[in-house]
Amino acid sequence: MSDTQKTEKPKKELTKSQMLSKKITEDYMNEAFRAHELGKLIGYTTAISPVEIFVAHDIIPIYPENHAVANLTAKKGAQLCSVTESLGYTSHLCAYARSDLGYRETGITVTRGIPEPDLFLACNAQCFTLTKWFQVLARRGNLPVFVFDTPEYIMDKKAREEIIKYCVIQLKELISFLEEVTKKKFDYDRLNEVMKYSAESSRLYKKFLDMAQYKPSPISIFDALIGMAIAVYRRGTPECVEYYRTLCEEFQEKADKGIGVLPKDKEKYRLYWENLPVWFKFSDHAKLLGSYGGVILTSLYVHAWSFEFDLDKDPLVTLAENYVSRFSNSTLEDRAEMAMDLFKRYSLNGMIMFMNRSCKAVSFAVPTLKDVLVKRTGIPALVFESDMGDQRFYSETQIRTRIEAYFETLDRLQAKVA
Amino acid sequence: MWDNLSLKEVVELTKDPFPSIRKWVKEKGKKVIGSTIPDVPEEVIHAFDFLPVSLIGTDKPLKKAPSRLPDNACSLARSNLELVMSYEGDLFDGFVLPQVCDTTQHLSDIWRIHFPDKYTECFLAPRQVDRPSARYWTKEEIERLISSLSNWTNRKITDDGLNSSIALFNENKKLLKEIYDFKKKNPAALTNKELFSLIKLSMQVDKEEFNKSLKRIKDGLKPQKGEGYTDIVLAGITCDPPEVYALFDEIKLNIVADTLVTGTRYIDGVVAQNGNPVDALVDRHMNRMFFSPIHDNVYRNFEEIKTLYKENNAKAVIYIHIEFCESQEYDLPDLKNMLRKEGIPFHVMDTEYQTLSLSHLRTRLQAFFESLKGGAL
Repeated sequence: MSDTQKTEKPKKELTKSQMLSKKITEDYMNEAFRAHELGKLIGYTTAISPVEIFVAHDIIPIYPENHAVANLTAKKGAQLCSVTESLGYTSHLCAYARSDLGYRETGITVTRGIPEPDLFLACNAQCFTLTKWFQVLARRGNLPVFVFDTPEYIMDKKAREEIIKYCVIQLKELISFLEEVTKKKFDYDRLNEVMKYSAESSRLYKKFLDMAQYKPSPISIFDALIGMAIAVYRRGTPECVEYYRTLCEEFQEKADKGIGVLPKDKEKYRLYWENLPVWFKFSDHAKLLGSYGGVILTSLYVHAWSFEFDLDKDPLVTLAENYVSRFSNSTLEDRAEMAMDLFKRYSLNGMIMFMNRSCKAVSFAVPTLKDVLVKRTGIPALVFESDMGDQRFYSETQIRTRIEAYFETLDRLQAKVA
Repeated sequence: MWDNLSLKEVVELTKDPFPSIRKWVKEKGKKVIGSTIPDVPEEVIHAFDFLPVSLIGTDKPLKKAPSRLPDNACSLARSNLELVMSYEGDLFDGFVLPQVCDTTQHLSDIWRIHFPDKYTECFLAPRQVDRPSARYWTKEEIERLISSLSNWTNRKITDDGLNSSIALFNENKKLLKEIYDFKKKNPAALTNKELFSLIKLSMQVDKEEFNKSLKRIKDGLKPQKGEGYTDIVLAGITCDPPEVYALFDEIKLNIVADTLVTGTRYIDGVVAQNGNPVDALVDRHMNRMFFSPIHDNVYRNFEEIKTLYKENNAKAVIYIHIEFCESQEYDLPDLKNMLRKEGIPFHVMDTEYQTLSLSHLRTRLQAFFESLKGGAL
């Protein structure tokens, strides 16, 4: 027996949902790589975009962000981003974009890569940077880009009605754009069918996230981040519904048996996380926090795919209403309300606010949001700055020290209350 | 106050126009609305009898803004936030803040939360301009702004009133254009710094008064070709601090065309008069020059710059990059390649509000033009 074999860990048996996720992903990518052979087009799109229109029109959606996440989680960020910087892009642009452009230069990826695009749909409800990134890619192949422009969902009721109208007009423009590119008439009946799947999977996805209400919580944000993948790239399909039904059953069983991420007596701190994760520190953070009795339960980010589609409405209206009102396109006041709802429903007693250099759309809200949440909850916050994917901006010692100090503060406060 | 200014006084006032705005406001009993750039229809604000003031950063030290916007935020956004948080906030009765990118979107939220007692409205500019919906939305937004100001002030404006404001603002732009055209052919008649100070101050003071100064300055200009000038095109969004223009003057560069929001993009915003004023303002918005955050086609930017370069027989293009402006940073590598492929000498100047090192810029600029003259580029 070789040394490698000796030290090899026994493989953990996959759960039913994990097997399903694997199969859905493999089938999806296999189809995507054969798209042209199957007479279909590849549409690059942003994770928060009305992809239901793509699905209904048989365009295979590909999310460069997801591919970037795989590479960043595998610590390829610094290498790929450096390549992009050598092309003249600055180091403070989004690490998804920088690593993607680096991948396109070098072919370096930890997956089989992603198929080349035929067209782009960029929705700025998520961020503006994606629009600019897609435009860079589109220029390379002289390909069409459709920008679905979602003005900030400001708090004025009448303005909101107008914003929805504007978005519905644009969705009609999107349909015409797709009809022109594909030379195929759009099928509204098919859209209605896709909406049913999307509505149901979104409902189940939310139910899965809401398992964080249990004590101890059977779900951490790390489960949510893994679990959200199918919602991002397969919503609007029956397999997506099946996946979330299975996932909910598994986690409900854990909850019913009182199985938590941490055992009940060890779960001291139920934490809120603001921002995207530090992808390459994903599991390290879970272990570190766990050692202090902390478990991050949720964030607004994972809830971004908890859509609430109203099937009694015109599908374009309910699509517009849902996509424009994502947390990332909401006012700071509304973001605070959304976060407060999570604090109350999940009985959260700590918060980690990550200033993510890569994601300006989320991070520029953090200082103000932190002040509002601290004031409203009376809970202290840990704020740290780093990057979600570029290891060069991550300071291990500094962040570890801050986490330790934060838990000491929480311990002190808890002792005082006791 | 601003009706009989000399060029020298204009340059001086541009450095810090706020003391004079305070004095004017006190004397006239008027109210002030501040707007960040770009594209807020200032004629609408004026029609409500306010003084519209464009906020274009400050050179005073950063104190409070970094606690709201981190150091990788667009330096103009931070500078504007600092301007109101630490220095001039009390001067303004309200703000109309355009949203064109992630930073400006957050900026308007932070602003509103920081000034809960002031009128704060956003102008949600469409971030696409090539489809019919963009026109529809621009009109909606202009009408929403009118309605919002109307609710706040409890006043209504008429088409005639708005057309009068448009006429006044048009006159300002026409005067600026005439001075600009004169300067192109007579680079020694006034400096780049003087020309762009005239434009910048126009965006911040009362036009009715300032137009009188502009007319006097224009009439007083004497043809002076000078010698040894190199004609250039300036591209970008803003160019600050004004000392950057002084650098151009120092090495005898003559700006013959530009794409700046604080330059030709502003001057070219003449609005059709006497028709439906809102439709005319929408037309202006749709026809404006390239602006990186709202136009998705960098080829258009390239074509615009190339045309300006060729039509004006310029010798080089200088691009002003504002540090941490994400939009520019996504466009720039491709734009650079397109212009280089076309054989157009191109130089990028990295600028930052409040912390810019001019000596560094000077050295790079001098090296670029020495190479240009030596034919090495």
